[in-house]
Amino acid sequence: MARDGKQTDIEPRGTNGRLERLPTADLEANDEFLTTFRAWANGPLTQAANARAREIMTARGIDPEAEMPLARAFEPFADDAVIQARHHVWLHAQNLMWRNLRRELHDNYDGYMAEMEAADASGPGTLELNPNLAIPDYATHEIHLQPGGYVGDPFAGHLYHYGTNNFYTGRNNQDELHRRYASSVPAPADKTVRRILDQGCGCGQMSVALKERFPNAEVWGIDVSGPMVRYAHMRAVDLGVDVRFAQRLAEDCKFPDGHFDIVTSYILHHEVTAEASRGITREAHRVLRAGGIYYPIDINTAGTRGMVAGAGPFNQVRNWMSHRWTHERWLFEYNSFDHATETRRVGFEVTEDGSSSGMGGVRGNILGVKRA
Amino acid sequence: MAETKGKRQEYTTDFIKADIGNVSFLGNVHIDNIMTALIAMGAEIWTDRRRIRVLESLLEKKGVTRDMVEQYVPTAEEEATWKKEREVLVDRMYGQFARQGSEFNISSDWKNK
Repeated sequence: MARDGKQTDIEPRGTNGRLERLPTADLEANDEFLTTFRAWANGPLTQAANARAREIMTARGIDPEAEMPLARAFEPFADDAVIQARHHVWLHAQNLMWRNLRRELHDNYDGYMAEMEAADASGPGTLELNPNLAIPDYATHEIHLQPGGYVGDPFAGHLYHYGTNNFYTGRNNQDELHRRYASSVPAPADKTVRRILDQGCGCGQMSVALKERFPNAEVWGIDVSGPMVRYAHMRAVDLGVDVRFAQRLAEDCKFPDGHFDIVTSYILHHEVTAEASRGITREAHRVLRAGGIYYPIDINTAGTRGMVAGAGPFNQVRNWMSHRWTHERWLFEYNSFDHATETRRVGFEVTEDGSSSGMGGVRGNILGVKRA
Repeated sequence: MAETKGKRQEYTTDFIKADIGNVSFLGNVHIDNIMTALIAMGAEIWTDRRRIRVLESLLEKKGVTRDMVEQYVPTAEEEATWKKEREVLVDRMYGQFARQGSEFNISSDWKNK
């Protein structure tokens, strides 16, 4: 991250492996505290909340697996101090993390903008921005409470990268997950991999990992967000990895028919509508050549378990908290979406034994092959 | 359409804002705010403690060891000064606990003389 408007690619505190250190020791300490705090909120505090929920349901004779109308599902847990505290700290610690990062970026606006502008035309790799792109409404929400969402803040890529490092509680600071999933992407049966498309590439971690896995292939990362692909390109330049980033829609990517050998994505589908998800899958089918691999990595795309395993009133409440208050806007559409069936419908031969995103801790992703 | 700020092209667009600022999870927005402030305070405490750890490490390289810090015995003058500082800190942080605070509510009028 840069702080001086006159210079570019400033790393005032150097790098930690692949990750540029945050620009001040205080911000880094603040961020690491909130990361540790998130791990505590997701671990011991959530376990305590789950235990309280079980006790409440037992005391009231509620079947913990039975669905009930959502309005009624809230009532048994509404006055419990542990459950309410868990809801609060989970959300507001996340909000504090975003606020601190955003303040640093906007307080030093000129420096960070100058850094991206200098990288725009640098290589390796290329960057294509499209200020006239019509952004679909579904992409304009502040998902995960990220300030400005993916499209409304010029530093959306910076925010997303460091914010998701907090979500991963430090397990992805070196792109470990993206590299693991890139290594799990199968090559087509004929082993020919000339071109790869990473749909909804965000800040570019998967695209970079794919290029490192397939160094002879031309790798494209596309995203609806200009700030995201700008940051992705800047970071790839810093890492010396040759990726082509472009601001394009995954459901209308403008590449020729049969252009790619592999089309993949990383946790894209649960952030879009069911309609968009179908369009993205159709587009993947169109741009893949016969025998090409479709590998959309997301949370439990095999089957219909969606983002929260299990049923019952407390899981209904937790789903609602994610949907309504962390602004996982399309969670319910995602949970009700049968990816395997939809992917078969557009013409792929589908198996359901790929790796999952790892966020749900359950293996079970689909893998599609375009029929000859 | 992408937006600009001054001469800079930002490639941003309008977005739908989250409304988490309008919800209370703890039954009273003041309690929610205090809880959030406590989380933020924890981050500030760690930020200072981490800086102290860095200073200790750097001092150690100059011959001032962490054990010397542990074994340090304040002078009588320091003891007296620190005691006063602690008393101020305690009063500043916990003085509110001595507040009665239940005589009026928000709609109470002036007390008759």
